[in-house]
This record gives sequence, structure tokens and C-alpha cells, in this order.
Amino acid sequence: MRALGAILWREYASFFRLPLGWVVVALFLCLSGVFFMDGAVRPGSPATMREFFAVWWGLLLFLAPAVSMRLFSEELRSGTIETMLGAPVSEAVLVAGKYLAGVAFLLTMLAPTLVYVGVLEWLSRPDYGPVASGYLGLVLLGMLYLAVGTLASATTASQTLAFLGTLVVLLMLDVLPRQVAGHLPERAAQTLIAFSPSQRARDFYQGLIDTAHIAYFLLACVWVLAIATVVLQSRRWR
Amino acid sequence: MISVDRISKSYGQIHAVRDVSFSIQRGQCVGLLGPNGAGKSTTIKIITGLIPPTAGSARVGELDTIDDSIRARRLIGYLPESNALYPEMRVRDYLAFRSRLYPLSRAQRSRGIEMALERCWLKDVAHRRIGQLSKGYKQRTGLAAALVHSPPVLVLDEPTSGLDPTQISETRGLIKSLASDRTVLVCSHILPEIELTCDRVLIIARGRLRADGSPRDLVRTMHTGGEHVVEAAVPAALREQAHRALAGVKGVTAVRFEAAKSSNDWAHYAVSTDAGHPDVREGLARAMGELGALVREIRRPSATLEQVFMRVIESDAEEAPR
Repeated sequence: MRALGAILWREYASFFRLPLGWVVVALFLCLSGVFFMDGAVRPGSPATMREFFAVWWGLLLFLAPAVSMRLFSEELRSGTIETMLGAPVSEAVLVAGKYLAGVAFLLTMLAPTLVYVGVLEWLSRPDYGPVASGYLGLVLLGMLYLAVGTLASATTASQTLAFLGTLVVLLMLDVLPRQVAGHLPERAAQTLIAFSPSQRARDFYQGLIDTAHIAYFLLACVWVLAIATVVLQSRRWR
Repeated sequence: MISVDRISKSYGQIHAVRDVSFSIQRGQCVGLLGPNGAGKSTTIKIITGLIPPTAGSARVGELDTIDDSIRARRLIGYLPESNALYPEMRVRDYLAFRSRLYPLSRAQRSRGIEMALERCWLKDVAHRRIGQLSKGYKQRTGLAAALVHSPPVLVLDEPTSGLDPTQISETRGLIKSLASDRTVLVCSHILPEIELTCDRVLIIARGRLRADGSPRDLVRTMHTGGEHVVEAAVPAALREQAHRALAGVKGVTAVRFEAAKSSNDWAHYAVSTDAGHPDVREGLARAMGELGALVREIRRPSATLEQVFMRVIESDAEEAPR
């Protein structure tokens, strides 16, 4: 457990020791702030965050791969992976530590947006239920995106490839089904959309907390991280 | 403390290590030598549990490095050849991070960090970022990280790579002092370093263990022939006679007159001997004495570990299928 904490903390701190972490946070806060000011601080606009969560999903689609791309790729490129695999730590702990550091970074990135909730409170009376569930949906979505990114990062020493690989997978999961669904029979389209993470997250933005959705996100994360662990283990056998 | 039992490692048709066995006792400092691609790093990676062998097994203490990998890795301090570090971290923070990967109490971790900083002369740069350090300091940081949990076994791959002569000498001293209370396996290309640091040498070539022994024993057993130098006052008129007398000594295969600037100068003869007669100094002295020549010196230049190494590699190359 201590090793997990050590890996988590080292990785989390490294986000802020390098410019990349600050750039990602600044980019997210800047763009999310622009969308918020444009949508919420207007006479007659509803006191809800629903639309912003849907827009922030689009930001996560690009920023989550940027966060996860260096988790393993950098270790593979620099050779520090040899030191880490030589330490008495299992690959599962290594993957979990790095992934949780990514999740902690995501939460840090989202934390300042709570100011927007304060602004809504100042302007009108928001319903806090959908706000809380919306944040939950966004965090679950981000966790899945980071898990996919962790897997991509474990497969290559190139951060660029890890970023692009993650982005392609996320686009195939979340954007492609919407484009293709219109051309498919209704049943097939529904099935395809049901696998789309962002589609499931939409229910959270509207204030619906479905345990089936929570189970979907958590199981998907565990499943993807298990594959990342196997990928890392397979390096020993090559 | 380290036991390697008939390990082999193949990558498809390439046999990196073939049927290698050896064991290293507690407190021994052993050098692993071999040319590039000989299988040294593969052997080290198997011992440190980084890769499994295709056949055979390696144990550290009583623990199999694959079946009981995590517990075995706790006993090892490993400095890889690449010595990759996190450049954005400070030296002390990095050592603290590495120590937290081991099951140590807070006090043990604190003591380990101070000990590693002290023994690797890193106190002055403990608060500097690793990326800002010179290569020598980075190498010391890697060594300190291998030491931080006070492991009973140290595996060091090219520990003096990138160090200046003073640092090399200091690191050599450090390794020797570390070997006094733990098992050390050093992999290096620098033969004099191994000769001065280690009390046992393993030479690997083309994946096979070709020699195993103390540097002195290896030099003695491998030095099966060679050159003698005879320096004597031989008048010019007697030089041919002296040449024949030396050539007549049992075991001598060739005599070469080397230098004498004038007739009164000291004459130098280079005398080659066969494998069965490594030391013919008494015979040479007797031959010159019978001639009435005053002998100033008969020298048998001793072989070095480097010569032993080259001979092992050459004989291995001769055995290699063409």
C-alpha cells in the first residue's frame, strides 16, 4: 500500500514539476471559463450546469490523452521502467499508482470549476442535485478516458503515439457511434450508443444517478487497466 | 547468496545465455566480464528478476527470482547500466521515493537515505534537481538509490560509467567497502577496475561461462607461456654464442636479440617459451653464467587480467561455428 502511495504521489507531483501539467490545467480552466461566461452569465439563462458538462466532455476528449500519454511512455523512453520493474512492486500496483495519479490530477483540474457553482449561486438559485451528479458523471467519464490513455501509454515509448492512440480510441467510442447510428437500424443504433461512455454520462448531467452506469464505468476502468497490467507484464517475457 | 543454476535465455533463434551456472557466497565481490552481446546484461536481468530464463533458475537468498520475484527483489539493490533517473526530482526526494517502495519503517527509511547520501558523497547536492547534476553525480545518485534500503545483495551494471578518474577511484573504494558486509556483483568493461575491486571474476562469451576464479588464479592458470627478458653484459663477440646458449634452454622456443647500442652496452634478449615451461628463469641464468656473462636482470612480465580476458575471447571465437 505504501508503494502504491509512493508511486501515486511521485507521479502526481511530477505533473506539476513539468510545464505539461500546468498547461493542461490552464487550458482546461481557460476554455471551460469561456464557455461558462458565454452560457451562464447572461440574462434569462437557466441556473444549471448541464450544458457546461456536455461541453467540458469535449475538452476531456483531448485533455485526458494529454494527461495520460506520459504515464508509461516516458518511463519506457527514458529507461526508468527498468528501475521500477526491478523494485519489489507488482505491475498491477505500478499501473494502479500511475492511473490514480492521473485521476487525482483530473480532480485537481476540475476543482477550480467549483467557483462556477458559486457564481451560479450568486446569480440565481441552482439545483445542487444535478450539479453534483453532473460532476460525478464527468469524473467517471474522465476516469475511463484516463484508463484508456494508461493502456495506450503502456504500449509505446512515444508520447505522441500514446496521445494519438488514445484520441483515436476515444473518438471511436464516443463520436463515431453517433455518426454511424443514423445509418443503422434502430435496434443496432441503440446497442451501439449504449456502449458510448459520453452517452451514459449525459444521464448524470441531467441529475440521474444510475447504478448501472456507475458499474459500467468502474468495470470498464478495471478491465482496461487489467489489460494495461498484462501489457506491462508481457515486457518481462519478450 | 546468489545461485544461478543452468540458466539459458533464447530470443527466437538467438541464444543470449546458454547453460550458465555459478553461485556467489555472502560477502563476495564478483566481477562479471564479457564483450558486448556476450550475455552479461541478460544474466543480470535474470538475477534481478526483470526477465525469466528460458531454462534453469536463479535464486537470491533462498528465493527464486521468478516464482518469488517480489520478495527476492527486496533483497537486491540494482543499478542498471542505463541508470535512468527522474530529472525533475531532487536527489533526496528521489531517494525517499525509492525507499518507500520497500517495506521499511519511517526510521529505517530516514537512516537509509542519510547513509546513501553520505556513502555516495551526495550530501552537497541532496536538494538539487537530478536533471541539473553532472553525469558523475547522476551515477552516484543511481548507486545511492540501489543502496537506500540496505540490501544484502548489490547488482551494479557499469557502476563507474561516466565518472572521472578521481570518482572512479572513490567508487572503487566504495564498492570494496560495501562488499565487506554484503554480496556484490559488478558488471563492467573496465578490466583493471574489476581486477582491483573484485575477489572473483566470471568471464562470459557468446552466452557461455568461459572462466571463473580469482583474478590471480585466472592469470596464473591462463599464463601458460610467454616472454622473458634477459638483460646481460655480453661482449659483441660472444653475442651469437649467448643467443645459442639461451635457445638451448629447455622450454625456449625462440630468442630475439633486441638492443645494445655499443659493444660494451647491456644486451637485451627476448626469450619466448612454450606452454609446458612457463617459467625458465633458472635455466636462462645458468646458461648465461656458464658463458661468463654478467646478468643484471631476468624478467618475466606477468600476465594481466586483460590478457586473460583476450585469450578467453579469442579461444571462444576459434570455437565458434563458421
